[in-house]
Amino acid sequence: MPRFITAIVLALSAIPCCLSIWPIPRSLDSGNQILKLSGSFDISINFTNPPQDLLDAVTRTKYSIQTDQLGRLTVGRGSSDSTAFGSAKTLRTLMLALEQSASTAQPIATEAVVALDARDEGYSLSVPLDGSAGVVSANTTLGLLRGLSTFEQLWYTYDGTIYTNYAPLTIVNDSPAYAYRGFMLDTARNFFSVSDIKRTLDAMYLVKINTFHWHITDSQSWPIQVVQFPELAQAGAYSTNQSYTPSDIQDVVTYAGDRGIDVLVEIDTPGHTAIIGASHPEYVACYLSDWITFASEPPAGQLRLADASVTNFTAAVLAAVAETLPSTMFSTGGDELNTACYAADGPTQMMLNESGRTLFEALDIFTSATHGALHALGKTAVVWEEMVLEYNTTTLRNDTIVMVWISSDDAAAVVQRGYRIVHAPSNYFYLDCGAGDPIGNDPTGNSWCDPFKTWQESYTFNPLANISSAQVSLVLGGEQLLWTEQSGPENLDSIVWPRAASSAEIFWTGDTLPDGFDRVGNISEALPRLHDVRYRMVQRGIKAIRLQPEWCALRPQMCDE
Amino acid sequence: MTRIFLVVATVISAAYALWPLPTDFSTGTAALTLASDFHIDISAIPNPPQDLLDAISRTKGYLQTDQLEALVVDRGASYNQSLQNASSLVSLVLSYDSGVAGEPTSISEEAIDDIDSRVEGYTLTVPEDGSAATIKANSTLGLFRGLTTFGQLWYDLNNTTYTIEAPIAITDSPVFPYRGFMLDTSRNYFPVSDILRTLDAMSWVKMTTFHWHMVDSQSFPLEVPEFPELSLNGAYGPSLVYSTNDVQTIVSYANARGIDVLPEIDTPGHTAIIAQAYPEHVACPGATPWATYANEPPAGQLRFANANTTNFTASLISSVSARFPGKYFSTGGDELNTECYAIDESTQADLNTTGKTLEQALDTFTQTVQSVLEDSGKTPVVWEEMVLDFNLTLSNNTIVMVWISSADAAAVADKGFRLVQAPSDYFYLDCGAGGWVGANPSGNSWCDPFKTWQYAYSFDPVANLTDAQAKLVIGGEHLLWTEQSHASNLDSIVWPRAAASAELFWSGPGGNIKNSVFPDVPRLHDVAFRMTQRGVGAIALQPLWCALRPGVCDLTA
Repeated sequence: MPRFITAIVLALSAIPCCLSIWPIPRSLDSGNQILKLSGSFDISINFTNPPQDLLDAVTRTKYSIQTDQLGRLTVGRGSSDSTAFGSAKTLRTLMLALEQSASTAQPIATEAVVALDARDEGYSLSVPLDGSAGVVSANTTLGLLRGLSTFEQLWYTYDGTIYTNYAPLTIVNDSPAYAYRGFMLDTARNFFSVSDIKRTLDAMYLVKINTFHWHITDSQSWPIQVVQFPELAQAGAYSTNQSYTPSDIQDVVTYAGDRGIDVLVEIDTPGHTAIIGASHPEYVACYLSDWITFASEPPAGQLRLADASVTNFTAAVLAAVAETLPSTMFSTGGDELNTACYAADGPTQMMLNESGRTLFEALDIFTSATHGALHALGKTAVVWEEMVLEYNTTTLRNDTIVMVWISSDDAAAVVQRGYRIVHAPSNYFYLDCGAGDPIGNDPTGNSWCDPFKTWQESYTFNPLANISSAQVSLVLGGEQLLWTEQSGPENLDSIVWPRAASSAEIFWTGDTLPDGFDRVGNISEALPRLHDVRYRMVQRGIKAIRLQPEWCALRPQMCDE
Repeated sequence: MTRIFLVVATVISAAYALWPLPTDFSTGTAALTLASDFHIDISAIPNPPQDLLDAISRTKGYLQTDQLEALVVDRGASYNQSLQNASSLVSLVLSYDSGVAGEPTSISEEAIDDIDSRVEGYTLTVPEDGSAATIKANSTLGLFRGLTTFGQLWYDLNNTTYTIEAPIAITDSPVFPYRGFMLDTSRNYFPVSDILRTLDAMSWVKMTTFHWHMVDSQSFPLEVPEFPELSLNGAYGPSLVYSTNDVQTIVSYANARGIDVLPEIDTPGHTAIIAQAYPEHVACPGATPWATYANEPPAGQLRFANANTTNFTASLISSVSARFPGKYFSTGGDELNTECYAIDESTQADLNTTGKTLEQALDTFTQTVQSVLEDSGKTPVVWEEMVLDFNLTLSNNTIVMVWISSADAAAVADKGFRLVQAPSDYFYLDCGAGGWVGANPSGNSWCDPFKTWQYAYSFDPVANLTDAQAKLVIGGEHLLWTEQSHASNLDSIVWPRAAASAELFWSGPGGNIKNSVFPDVPRLHDVAFRMTQRGVGAIALQPLWCALRPGVCDLTA
């Protein structure tokens, strides 16, 4: 018995119970004393001419701290903390300090789209116990923003008093373990309004997710208005009200950039494009044919990739969209190509015969053209894993980023070919799994990727499994994904949050907690913090779901197995 | 290509938008619009009850505000020409069948009648020539069901409200009288407004029973004036309590919508929270490891072997049940943990003194509690363990809820009890969303997988029952246990899935998912879209592309 207890003590992290920050910083030294926030609290900036989006971020942080009104998740919701209010000191100022010459300060939105390998999100934060000014310091305004999101998570409200119970607190050089921390939303299966997307970006900001992977089109609908190709949305959006105007896209990109989030737009090609047939039937093979034979899901239809005019059209559409976006990345998709569709398509077979090419050789030429158009705009191409593992594409540029989705087991094979990867494995990160099958007349239908991916299962994902140490730098990070066959605005928040925060911490914090203990091995340490960020999201209007009865949320570890 | 076109062409049919499907109906192909001065005529009804008048004004409101476009690719634009030339419906006339005499009873009174004597049938006609539509019924509740059906007939195109299926003739009544939805308000609290919204959605699919699992081990959100400490100490917070007034509001709102409220105070298990106010009545409160003493944290159960605890429980049940006008009351009785009593010295002492076994003590407790209900004219409702796991003396009148498995229904029926089908393997809405206890990385829910609407819809309520036993099945319900639910996902986890059992128990089993004559996916889309228009956040079952193309996303398309 004593030995058993000793073993537990040795294995458990020393992070103070219920420390709220998510993702937890990689370095952290915190106390457990009360510090109040002054009624006249303000955030000051130590350099002149700060960019407007930093000023806006400061305003939002001050507002959130006032309006979160979150009671600490403990029985009594903070009443036991209030006895110390009388003797506690008061914080009046948080200073934002740039560690480089202020003349080089860039807007957050500019730094948020810097190439992944050069992006700088690190920051330091100190909150003294004695009421003297707190300080966030960073090399970039993007780093300052990350420090603000940490600072916001320190505060609770009890009976009108805003306070933290983690003073004094020092974070030195907190910076992400992985450069890419994303969330993907599919806006083609069902439509989401700009306000739904913005609310999602707010939640992403809170947990320091830095990439919004926007799977904007698919076979079911084409909700993006492309100025040079207006017919695509006219014929392909569910309705005019269910499409994004160019100014909607800019609105989303700006809103994201202000919150340190890069927008990676995906126009999936050459598969998942049936809806293009609504305006250009001549470009689409097996358009609306038997979907069970010709597609992974209805409706069937794929771009005639062997056709030069289709190739030119596709390159032009991708360029038309990509040139309006500040990101250095753009995804051309490339998943789930159905070869039976092309085998049955007369025009495709004729063109292959004429050119003497195989289908995959034609795909190589198609990809080379579409990626060439992106490269000419200075964009790095992003593709799904099949482009590397199944289609023997030979023309991919070395800097192409590959998303691993079919299985986490496939990551090693992609990395072995020298490509950088983003982990998006269906077996850990697909948020739609486990809710049944969207196919109509299927009484026993469960989802193809059952079971439901719990936050805990996601949280145990190991980004470096089977990756050699020499290849570690190829792992850019990862993302959780929502495919929306069975989602809409009605269940967006509840299906995504707080689960998608799991990967946000995996890829920010890495595998080690700030006190040196194993992160995954201390999963029961994570749950109270996840409750905390979930409750804070709810206070901010994001309808994150409950992970447990409130009885458990107020009593850390008491509902553990 | 041709084949797909044919599929689309066969299903654009407004009557197929009705949910639950009427037991007998016929429709035509004529367009009919709703006149701008459309009204509902009740001149044939002397002294119409207020709740009928309210239902009429709600129906008229929905006709104005639903603004639902037909779920077809062009959202109904191609009907424009025929709508120009269509007749216009000016009135809907409500009347009782000739057999009804005297002062009419209200929907609210009829909704809480004995379950086997409720009358919900109605006939509805909508002529194509613009002459008056009619709803006739033998009861006010029947008129209300007819109004609900009438409200599902209409679509909107450029502010014209129309059907393209006149004339319509429907004769309808339910196969099973109990069609319910259960909500647990203890694991997490739901504001009154969430419950009222849920009651609205239930009434739109003609459900009859709101099974309210009010309290459990985690919190006691119900104000009981005779025992105020229960909610003072046991609710999550002072604002997270259903006051006596709130209960009145919920019951009146439900009854006016044809819904009986079946309250449940789960006993003697699932009662840990009572220890916050009355520690003397609770065995093993907070005992650890909780997994030894309870199915979920926190542990703690009523000391049913103790006479004082028994009397306390009987008084509590009596106090609560007196505030509900319904004739049914559930005392729960599931998941009793015997280890908890084995370590409880007080219980062991009581058993030693009385010389009773645990089961005999439970029998005494149960008889005392149930007799309090029966003395006040209530019928007890219990979970299946009270019949199958323990040898207890229960009134023959008791209604038993089958939850552990659909396979247990036959054993309950074998003992001669009436039963409600609430099987976890078909109707538990919480399943499949992962285990919720902490520190369990690979944990999935105990009742995996997720229960799809299709699977629930395929349930056979009389499977493995003899004809005589089948008569004991009074209906069924979908259930939401709320360990991982809250106002934020109430609508999305419940709707439209719970509509599957609403139709199953109204229209009878055998609604054929695979048969294109009854393309149920499009009808369920329709009710889900209408719910969304009315402010209930029902989820998408498929991409909108599929919803607009009935049958095209079927596995056989």
